[in-house]
Amino acid sequence: MINKFKVKSLKLKVFLLFTFYFSLFTFLCACTPQKEKVYRKTKILMDTLVTISVVSNSKGDAEKAIDAAFSEIEKLEKLLNFFSPDSEVSLINKNAGISEVKVSPDTLNILDKALSVSEKTDGAFDVTIGPVITLYDFHKKIRPEENAIKKNLPLVNYKELIITRNKSTAFLKKRGMLIDLGGISKGYAADRAVEILKKRGINSGLVSIAGDIKAFGLKPDGKSWNIGIRNPRAKGQEDDIMATIELKDMAISTSGDYERSFIIGEERYHHLLNPKTGYPAKGFRSVSIITKEGTFTDAFSTGIFVLGPEKGTKVLEAMGFDGIIVDSNGKIYTTPGIKGKVALK
Amino acid sequence: MNSGLKGILNSTTIADRLLLFILILLSSSGVVFVKEILPKGRTVQIEADSLPVYRLPIDEEKTVSVKGPHGNTIVEIKNHKVRIIESPCPNKLCIQQGWIESGAVVCLPNRVVVIIGDIDSKDRKVVDAVT
Amino acid sequence: MQSHDKYRIALLSAYALALHGFEGILPTPIPWLRLGLANIITLTTLLLYGFRPAIMVTLIRVILASLFTGTFLGPAFILSLGGGVTSTLAMGLILSLMPELFGPVGLSLIGALFHNIAQLLLAYVIFIQRIEAILLISPIIILIGTLTGSVNGIISEILIKNLKNTEKHLEYKSNH
Repeated sequence: MINKFKVKSLKLKVFLLFTFYFSLFTFLCACTPQKEKVYRKTKILMDTLVTISVVSNSKGDAEKAIDAAFSEIEKLEKLLNFFSPDSEVSLINKNAGISEVKVSPDTLNILDKALSVSEKTDGAFDVTIGPVITLYDFHKKIRPEENAIKKNLPLVNYKELIITRNKSTAFLKKRGMLIDLGGISKGYAADRAVEILKKRGINSGLVSIAGDIKAFGLKPDGKSWNIGIRNPRAKGQEDDIMATIELKDMAISTSGDYERSFIIGEERYHHLLNPKTGYPAKGFRSVSIITKEGTFTDAFSTGIFVLGPEKGTKVLEAMGFDGIIVDSNGKIYTTPGIKGKVALK
Repeated sequence: MNSGLKGILNSTTIADRLLLFILILLSSSGVVFVKEILPKGRTVQIEADSLPVYRLPIDEEKTVSVKGPHGNTIVEIKNHKVRIIESPCPNKLCIQQGWIESGAVVCLPNRVVVIIGDIDSKDRKVVDAVT
Repeated sequence: MQSHDKYRIALLSAYALALHGFEGILPTPIPWLRLGLANIITLTTLLLYGFRPAIMVTLIRVILASLFTGTFLGPAFILSLGGGVTSTLAMGLILSLMPELFGPVGLSLIGALFHNIAQLLLAYVIFIQRIEAILLISPIIILIGTLTGSVNGIISEILIKNLKNTEKHLEYKSNH
């Protein structure tokens, strides 16, 4: 009676065991590929740290997509780098006042967008700032002589950058004019990188090129991407965050007077120059702009910073962008559109 | 027939008691030691030219040298903080940055990136990116 | 299989299911603290009637319980199934390899241990995928399992003795 049910041989038992685990294993394997994870890679590109995160269920697919996005950014870097002598930007600069330069669609596109931002910000954002910004050296803490600024200021005028769409050419009217796309190229690159990721079948990810960030889709836990905004007067710590914001299918860029800057005496010299005066703009400590296109967040954050509190907030409203702004007293303003998504610390 | 708890105890085999003893010993010592053995959360990841070179626990004092295109960058880990103490780059910005407890130190010219916190792990970081 | 045994398996499964359900409504101080009361029935079945009824009782219990709670084929079901089957297999294997070595208490400890190991591994595969987290909770879970396992073993032993007595009694009655 007691031994009636005992399986006679050990072999059968081992067989049963294996069948059970094999079926469990296959069942699990059939389930697990649906599991999505965040894959992240970092690379130094455009003279800064570029981090791309993608949500995927395959490590291989994720890495291929990230690498494709990196090489797109690399391609743009080659076209747009101010310092490399054979970039298209350098070519336009060298031929300033001489001749039109045939450029690639990407360069044409970014210049076109840059000009539209210049118009909307009444020239507060101006890619022809080159002749003035090169007078400053933010590493060596060198500020230019007043005379030098006065001499070069007439060379700054976006209206004298002529682009011809049908011939796909760009032309700077005066000799000595220089375009510097530093205030728009990272945002544009983030847009392009996201496009590449989407083409590769990625539905959710985050591209961050220094402070220019573009988020699309949701994280595997179903939440929006959480972006920290730096405290412009951080004490010691690099990553002292004053606020966080949840982003989905949006880009954000911050322009701050703390980024590339130095202090002489009481005066803070930073890279956000007013194209009308040639001196660093005052009135804000940092301006973060949120909208769909990274190209615009990048350029408008600079433009609105330069415009200052009065005109700047008007442009922000007119454009319908969202933003988080810290004024020169350290007061933080947020637009109504992002209520509930921002958490101040 | 023995009855009650005493009877039960007497009817256990030596192997039963030995197994109980071993299991309790192993699992309770496990409770104590696992916490000691495991690395305490955060790691320092050092990359040169986009390739990870080191992965070090932040709570261990250590100084390492990383080779970049321009030469060796020396990174020091001490008291849960990280800094770059020597670098062949021209402007030494990375050295000026001093000690950091979170985030990253980057030496752009020598292509060395020092990141605190696992970058590929599933660590639920509060923030996904910083602007 | 005789109808007699089918009846017995059904009865035992019902007991196991009842204990499983009872355990589910007990408040637990720690989320991982499961008493594993259903294992009392599995172990008793194994010792009294052998391996096959034991595994059947386990399967019936796990499947029915998940159907009742609506977790059938869900992650909780996989954990429950993996744990239940592994522990029954482990106890059955040890019993057939070394029948005299362990008593009910030892077998119950083995059952609890393998139940927990299987569940931890499955949890690693399905949910957590962080080996540190699994390693961190493993000793605590195994310690709790050892304590509850020895209690369950003792209960099984009492149960078996009583059942043997009644069966003898019944057999005696039916023979005369």
